[in-house]
Amino acid sequence: MLLSFRTIMRLLTHNMLTSHVKGVTNGYPLKLQAENIKVMSVDFNPEFVARMIPKLEWQALIQAAESIGHLGDLPRELMPEYESNEEFLKMAHHVLMEVEVIEGNLECPETGRKFPIKNGIPNMLLNEDEV
Amino acid sequence: MAASMDQESCGVKTKLTKSERKAHKKQNKARQTLLRHEGINTSREVTKHLVVANAGLSNGVHREELWRLFEPHGDLQDVVMVTGKPYAFVSYNDDQSAAAAYTAFNGRMLKSPEELQQPNVTFYLNYIDEVPAQRATGLDLPPGLRLVEDFVSPACADRLLEGLGWSNEHHMDAEQALKHRRVKHFGYEFRYDNNNVDKDKPLPGGLPDWCSQVIDRMMSEGHIKHRPDQITVNQYQPGQGIPPHVDTHSAFEDEISSLSLGGQTVMDFKHPSGKRASVVLPARSLLVMSGEARYLWTHGIIPRKMDPVPVKGQEDSMTLARREVRTSFTFRKIRHTPCDCKYPSQCDSQLQRPGASLPRSEGEAAQLEQQHVHQVYEDIASHFSSTRHSPWPRVVDFLKQQPIGALVVDVGCGNGKYLGANKDVYSLGNDRSCGLADICRDRHLEVFVCDALSVPIRTGAVDAAISIAVIHHFCTQERRLKAVKELTRLLKPGGKALIYVWAFEQEYKNVKSNYLKDTKEPQNDDVRDNSSTTTDDIRGATSPEVSQNDSVQQQQQQQQGAGLPVHVNRTSFKSQDMLVPWHFRDGAKKTQKDFRPGVKVSSNSGEEKSENAENNPEKHTKNDTEEKRTSNMSNEQDRGKLSDTRSQKKQGSEDEKLESSSGACASVCHQEKSQEGPVYHRFYHVFKDGEIEELCNSVPGISVIERYYDKGNWCVIIQKGL
Repeated sequence: MLLSFRTIMRLLTHNMLTSHVKGVTNGYPLKLQAENIKVMSVDFNPEFVARMIPKLEWQALIQAAESIGHLGDLPRELMPEYESNEEFLKMAHHVLMEVEVIEGNLECPETGRKFPIKNGIPNMLLNEDEV
Repeated sequence: MAASMDQESCGVKTKLTKSERKAHKKQNKARQTLLRHEGINTSREVTKHLVVANAGLSNGVHREELWRLFEPHGDLQDVVMVTGKPYAFVSYNDDQSAAAAYTAFNGRMLKSPEELQQPNVTFYLNYIDEVPAQRATGLDLPPGLRLVEDFVSPACADRLLEGLGWSNEHHMDAEQALKHRRVKHFGYEFRYDNNNVDKDKPLPGGLPDWCSQVIDRMMSEGHIKHRPDQITVNQYQPGQGIPPHVDTHSAFEDEISSLSLGGQTVMDFKHPSGKRASVVLPARSLLVMSGEARYLWTHGIIPRKMDPVPVKGQEDSMTLARREVRTSFTFRKIRHTPCDCKYPSQCDSQLQRPGASLPRSEGEAAQLEQQHVHQVYEDIASHFSSTRHSPWPRVVDFLKQQPIGALVVDVGCGNGKYLGANKDVYSLGNDRSCGLADICRDRHLEVFVCDALSVPIRTGAVDAAISIAVIHHFCTQERRLKAVKELTRLLKPGGKALIYVWAFEQEYKNVKSNYLKDTKEPQNDDVRDNSSTTTDDIRGATSPEVSQNDSVQQQQQQQQGAGLPVHVNRTSFKSQDMLVPWHFRDGAKKTQKDFRPGVKVSSNSGEEKSENAENNPEKHTKNDTEEKRTSNMSNEQDRGKLSDTRSQKKQGSEDEKLESSSGACASVCHQEKSQEGPVYHRFYHVFKDGEIEELCNSVPGISVIERYYDKGNWCVIIQKGL
């Protein structure tokens, strides 16, 4: 059950976002700075998680989770046959879906440009000179 | 005793010299006078405000002189002169600055003419807790209006008039002078035929040198924030005036300042509600109009030879002041982007405007979209969201086809109605509008704000993407292509994207789309059910002008100017590029819980049809009585018919009366209704048969795997190559 009426930028979303400032070649991953985090409860669907994992940049996920202090026991490397490891999937689910950043910043690793996260919504609009 | 107190406050008990004692005496005298005669309480403590005796207008001291003298001592905030008084107020932003000024000036005679024009002047300073509020004139001044008296000294005024080169002797006889007001423009020519400026043809020479000092001071003293680049000089003979007007929004930026030289006048301001204010503009004063005073209130000068003015010192009584020759210098900054003020009723940028035209550059394209897409969606976000409730089945089908755990992005997700359509995939939305993103957030949907031309998702990260009713908002071919390219960049190899755009052909295979069908025209087909008596329809094209004369209307609008036509809702498209009106409607407002305040009422010209985007079929037309329904989409809705007439009837009961009334009455009622809210114009490029396909085919690495027509939209599914 969703407990809060605010959203959220989940770590799963963070894993897909990259800096798109003009000329940047190394815009991924964005450095995550969180000032306000909420942990929520989301229904666990093992198949969903298992299929999601190959689409992720695992190291970026680890880095981001760690930077906001929510890595927990999530392994830094994917082990073989993780798809059937329910305990692992549950941990991954938690990190991917249940940790939500409400206020913070996403920082471009190359330019330092900060994209604010307010009320869980990252604002990635570029200024005219950054396009 | 004052002397000993001063000694104590110095902390040093020394014997004062004779001159020092004298100075102290005078300072105290000043302090007492201020208290007894002016009710000004001075402070023993250091504060940031000073009252400076002998620095007043009645001492012959000028504001600009004081500014020059006091500024070097600290963070100067304000200098206030009071008519006819022998003192002035000087305010700094901090105590230290005031203390420094105090030390510098108290009891010292100023050098003339280096420091002060007037010789033998000695300032006596005291601290005060706060500058007393100047006596209210009893008038409600327009917000954003500021009058700075004595802005230039007589010497400076003379210099300006000299620089202008208009001798006081009339160069034409009196009769001619009255007929032809002397005018001169610098920087850009103001045209009286269209009340606008030739922005592309600046006048050679720019702004004259002899004006620059005044402009510098206007800025350094904080009266204006932006440097003007256009000056209009007007000379008014006694008996001349100027009719009430609002300076064209699209021509000039916010701040408009007027310097009055030679003579005084009275300027009249009027608010659309009828509220009036008359402001005396003394000679050598600067008037700054911004905000409401600039954009909403009209200003004018009555052509007469005498003005009723309040008596100096007795503001309640009036006297007559004779007009003299007045030369006004009006300083303005040319506006290069369309006006986006909060007062659309007076705004030529925002009203039905023939002026908007297809852009000729990237910059203009971005501007047009900012004005006619982004700003509009921000303004109407919550209202818009309430009309966009039901996801279109075929889009939902596409989403449901995705495997479990797929990553799907909705580029231009609006209020997020597709983000929750398939719970087994991870849906991520983005929209250009913060307002719409907020609405997604309120629904616990994952969303971020960005531009569809530059989506900050890593290449190949998503399994599928949708772009529903987005690409038709881009106003150039290049940008539309860029949008498709960006969409496909996000796809993994083999990934698919669904694109919907509004179709030029609203009648397809001899079937009219709902957009056209839902009108009351007798010539339409009969494929209608009860749902036709909905608020949408009524608000739709019941106005007789639409049914009978729509082509004439369209033609008229196109003739109004070489530019984007304004589409008449519920009619077929006459051109591919146009502005489509959206109307804020009171009926919809009531059902909208999170209606955003701050919407200004506009007085529309009668031409506006009371349409709103509920009538746009490219998204499913529904008002939020949908909420009361179950989430099951019936087949009826598949055909795009509006259903649940009962609840709609309830909401639209007032409108239903319009439906049955005579044509004439309906149009009048619509006009009144339409005046309840402002009109927004969104830019659309509607696509012809095959056009979106062609666009996609010109993107390397993708192929069109499906194409169809759905409810007035052309749709394609594209797939990224492996």
